[in-house]
Amino acid sequence: MESNQADPIRMDALDPANSLNMPEMTDMTLATDFLVRAKEGVRNAAVALTEAVSPEARTLLKYQLKQGIQLHREIAELMVRKNWFHPYELEEQFKLDGLSAVNTVEIAKQKLFPDPANRKGMFDRTPDEPKGGPPA
Amino acid sequence: MLNDKKTRTLADHEALELHEALNFKTLCLAKSKLMQGLVFDQELRALMEKDVQMNIQAITDLQRIYSEAKFASEIPEFRPTPILN
Repeated sequence: MESNQADPIRMDALDPANSLNMPEMTDMTLATDFLVRAKEGVRNAAVALTEAVSPEARTLLKYQLKQGIQLHREIAELMVRKNWFHPYELEEQFKLDGLSAVNTVEIAKQKLFPDPANRKGMFDRTPDEPKGGPPA
Repeated sequence: MLNDKKTRTLADHEALELHEALNFKTLCLAKSKLMQGLVFDQELRALMEKDVQMNIQAITDLQRIYSEAKFASEIPEFRPTPILN
């Protein structure tokens, strides 16, 4: 296999060595994204609440704020239990931060998708419409 | 105090917040749904599915209130004008 990657020994999409611990790293990354979204949701709801005057809007936003806080706690607890998140052991968290960053940068350096990445193909017109017809 | 007439339609700044909240929930719903296909941990997946169900409810609730915005209009079944191209 020919490789034009900057660092083919460390990262090569086809090297099975890189699949070691990949499920855990994937889960940790996606869980972190989930946690950040929950956190953002709580902040957004709180900010929206300070702008809302109508009672229905306030009631709904308050409900969603509480729901968001609860969800955030559940995600954080899961992540602590799975050792994906270390709110107390800061040295551990520091190591994880570094590993995630380095791994993600290495993945980002790879060529993951074929060159003509336009997948529009059959999606750019309504079904059965001849090419060159009016835009869908 | 707020009277009935004033609470019928949303104030513009409220509508703006609901617009942002609705779009945020929509994006979160898409992400939580799609990522369930990528995660390995089943507990994490279950929590994401819970988020999906909560988001669907949240979107329904937000849409109900957002429809009281001054600029509310009928939502067409299909895209009326081309957005692409």
